[in-house]
Amino acid sequence: MTNSMSATLSLSIMEKNGSVRNRTISMVSKSFPEGVEKRFIRFIDPVDVRGTAMLIFDNTSSADEMWIFLPALKKTRRIVSSEKGKSFMSSEFSNADMSSPSLSDFTNKHIGSSGNDNQWVIESIPVSQDKADEYGYSRKITYFSMDKCQVNKMEFYNFDNELFKVIEIKSVHPLPEGKYMILEMTAINLLTGRKSTITFTRIADNPKIDDSVFTIQNLER
Amino acid sequence: MTQLIIKYRWYIIISCLLFGISFACLIPLSKTDPEIRNYIPAGMKSRIETDKIEKEFGVQDMVMLLFQDSSIITHDNLEKIKEIDRDISTMSDIASRISPYTVKNIISSEGMMKVDPMIRSIPTDAEEISALKKDILENRFARGIVVSSDMTAAAITATIDNPGNERATLNKIDSVIAAHPGDARVLKGGLPYIRQHIMKDVRRDAVILVPLALLIMLLVLKLTLGEWKSVMMPFTVVLLSTCVSMGLIPLLGWKMSIITLLVPVILIGVANNYGIYLVARFQEISLSHAGYSRDQILKELTGSLNMPILFSGLTTIAGILGLLTHSIIPARQVGVLAATGVTIALLMSLSFIPALIFTRKKGYTAVNKGKTASKTISRLTDFLSDIIIKHPGRVIIISCLLTLMISSGIFLLKTETNQENYFPKNNPVKQASELINTKFGGSQTISVMVAGDIKDPAIMNGIDNVTRQVEKMKGVGQVFSISQAVREMSKALYTPGEDGYDRIPATAEGIAQMFELYNMSGDPADFKQLMNPENNKAHILIRLSDPRKGIISNIRNRISELVAKIPAEVTVGGYAIIMADFARSIIRGQISSLLFALITVALLLTIIFRSFKGGLIGSIPLAASILILFGFMGYAGIALDSATALLSSIMIGVGVDFTIQYIWCFNINIRKGLSYEESTRVSLSTIGRSILINAFSVMAGFSALIFSGFTSIRFFGYLVIISIGSCLIGAIVLIPAIIVWFRPRFVENDMSNSKKKKYEKRDSDINAPSAAFNGLRPAAGCRKDNE
Repeated sequence: MTNSMSATLSLSIMEKNGSVRNRTISMVSKSFPEGVEKRFIRFIDPVDVRGTAMLIFDNTSSADEMWIFLPALKKTRRIVSSEKGKSFMSSEFSNADMSSPSLSDFTNKHIGSSGNDNQWVIESIPVSQDKADEYGYSRKITYFSMDKCQVNKMEFYNFDNELFKVIEIKSVHPLPEGKYMILEMTAINLLTGRKSTITFTRIADNPKIDDSVFTIQNLER
Repeated sequence: MTQLIIKYRWYIIISCLLFGISFACLIPLSKTDPEIRNYIPAGMKSRIETDKIEKEFGVQDMVMLLFQDSSIITHDNLEKIKEIDRDISTMSDIASRISPYTVKNIISSEGMMKVDPMIRSIPTDAEEISALKKDILENRFARGIVVSSDMTAAAITATIDNPGNERATLNKIDSVIAAHPGDARVLKGGLPYIRQHIMKDVRRDAVILVPLALLIMLLVLKLTLGEWKSVMMPFTVVLLSTCVSMGLIPLLGWKMSIITLLVPVILIGVANNYGIYLVARFQEISLSHAGYSRDQILKELTGSLNMPILFSGLTTIAGILGLLTHSIIPARQVGVLAATGVTIALLMSLSFIPALIFTRKKGYTAVNKGKTASKTISRLTDFLSDIIIKHPGRVIIISCLLTLMISSGIFLLKTETNQENYFPKNNPVKQASELINTKFGGSQTISVMVAGDIKDPAIMNGIDNVTRQVEKMKGVGQVFSISQAVREMSKALYTPGEDGYDRIPATAEGIAQMFELYNMSGDPADFKQLMNPENNKAHILIRLSDPRKGIISNIRNRISELVAKIPAEVTVGGYAIIMADFARSIIRGQISSLLFALITVALLLTIIFRSFKGGLIGSIPLAASILILFGFMGYAGIALDSATALLSSIMIGVGVDFTIQYIWCFNINIRKGLSYEESTRVSLSTIGRSILINAFSVMAGFSALIFSGFTSIRFFGYLVIISIGSCLIGAIVLIPAIIVWFRPRFVENDMSNSKKKKYEKRDSDINAPSAAFNGLRPAAGCRKDNE
């Protein structure tokens, strides 16, 4: 991740019956001192939610903060939620999938064929039952490409130790210092048959973004 | 015919046995169908509509786990519920779930909307417990849904997404419950559990009732026929015809239901009659004509009995076939199966039993057949003769008055389609149902699906109007709809007094943005049951605390009025609606099967008695018995349900037999020159006694039903006894009195054909020592030996 970023994000949710819903949003984000990452999101499509805006503070040591502005109702509300396992915009991605994971929330270890075939295989288990409940899974297996040092795939297991969700990283945008940004990723829920795809376009890496963008006043503009 | 039987006796015996055994081999392939909605034809509107809704929103049959304690909000109880809820949440075959731990508090304060679980952590002290109780009472999604208002019960409600193997899911839930013992009593309810219990009880009933009915029958046969060889002949016919009927179930691709359980019991009660007549008559001929050869005995036997047996069989089959006009699928199946069974029994009685009799090298030698019982019956028939001959008018008037008096109960007759009432009060399923209905808004549902742009305020307001109006109605426990969630969100967005507070937004954008708000703050899966992801179909789920037919009808009518105002396509379905249609089907089926059976039987009687008036008079005991049966049911509070609806057809089939036999016998006696009074006395002392014994044996067969696990099958058992009893009184009290009083000319007609006359002639030559078989079982028809 970089200090700041802007992009247009397309979210496509495909139901088991084949029906598709699309959302398009513009997003800017910026890192602030003490590890706080602030994001500003505005809906572009569909028409009936156009102008809806969200301001999110990803706090490292406390619960995330979120404000939403509903233009049709001319209302701004702060939303408080501690559940990272919740769905992101009713897709198969969770809020946790949309932000960098907190390493201390998991016990991580190499498993099975890790190290072979140019691939690390890491198992991540939540450190406590509360954390597992918060994230909504009992364990995660992540497949890293050794040479590119980037995630290819993540598998999520439910509390029956049953594989229920797979996220695949389809393409990434390289950033300086060996970092990268995901351009397209797909989440498939194996139990419901739903599939969600997020695609990032118009990416601007480290653009200059004024701090005032990340204020409640800006939401209602 | 007799010659053919003699010539091919072994072929007949072996082919009958093989035929029965081959069908018996199919019986283990039978499957049980506990789903009452499958009783209704798939083309019925309510089923089509419900299927349409379920296709979109899943099956709405809820599993409800109920936790009961003097106070359910204690640390230990909440811990237990949490553990069970957590384990259930991890089951992949659970489609949706509502529990105290899934309910959210949507709180608005100081410009902040907070959506959080109602129970974030289990309270540890009295203060936290009382805060939680307050939260529960204030949360409309918790009070009376996941925790009862009196705080004595909590519920986890789940829908199952495992259509092929609901049982496996229920077993998993049972294991979860067993793994978490505690103080709170756990009750399991809802339709999936009701279905599971029905499956168990159908199997239990099949294992207990059929052998019990067979045992009772064996006992009655032993008492009446004496020797085992004689007993085994009609008994084998019963077994073989029952095997054929039950083997037909898997062969035709049908499944066992609660009411198909009645088929073997009906056959055990009915199919032995013809065999008993034959064997009893065989015993009599053997005793009175020791010198007769086997050929002579057989010719005598078939000659005197084939006609009345054939007529009895045909009228029984016609009565039972009345069930084919029923719209309840298993009722039609019972009609086909029982009619097939009786036909097989009739054919076997006319071929297999004579063939078996012929194979007996030694004739019958008398054994003690219960002379005490015989004397009692003789005294009873003598008493009846005296009364009828002396006061026929009074007998008719009293019978009419009694019939009228009892039949007035028809106006109190109700229909019952609620599966919960299949179980007796002490059954855990029944107890769970009562708890659900009284404290958790009921488990039976009506579903309303609205198809259109749900974000359109006109449609959302329409949904809201239905929700709010139906909520107030009698018998409605809970209503769930998307408009309630929208209103709750408006409460979180606006402060009391503001225009938008507790309102549906005025624009589609406003509603769309509220949904988006919930997507961000809550769990979109919370709406899964109420709105599809495309927002073009919404579901109003109405839970009924009182699922009686009249209440369902009122709610349905009100919904029809309210949805007419919604500018969208509306579908109304749900289990309760199917059940209301089912109740109507029962009534329609009852009327159509009654009319069919009565008309057919009256026609057959007209043909048998060669008189239209004879057909009408012969139908009087049946008509009176039907009135008495329904009247009695009305007064006793026994409802017409899927099982009791079969009664009248079966009663017609079985009960008409008595009237035919009496009039047939009376006709023979009157044509011999006896006066009406003498003919009455002789007929009652001979065939009257036979009818009495037959009626008792049918009642004995059906009495096994009173040990059923299902209330309605037990009632069926009691009611058969009442209806056969009234047919019996009609045939041996009312009909003789009518004949003595009105002297209808048809009873003097020659009812026999030429062939019959020939046998009667021979019959008179037999000069049997007693008109009725020496003891309990005289032959069918009537013989001239009463002269």
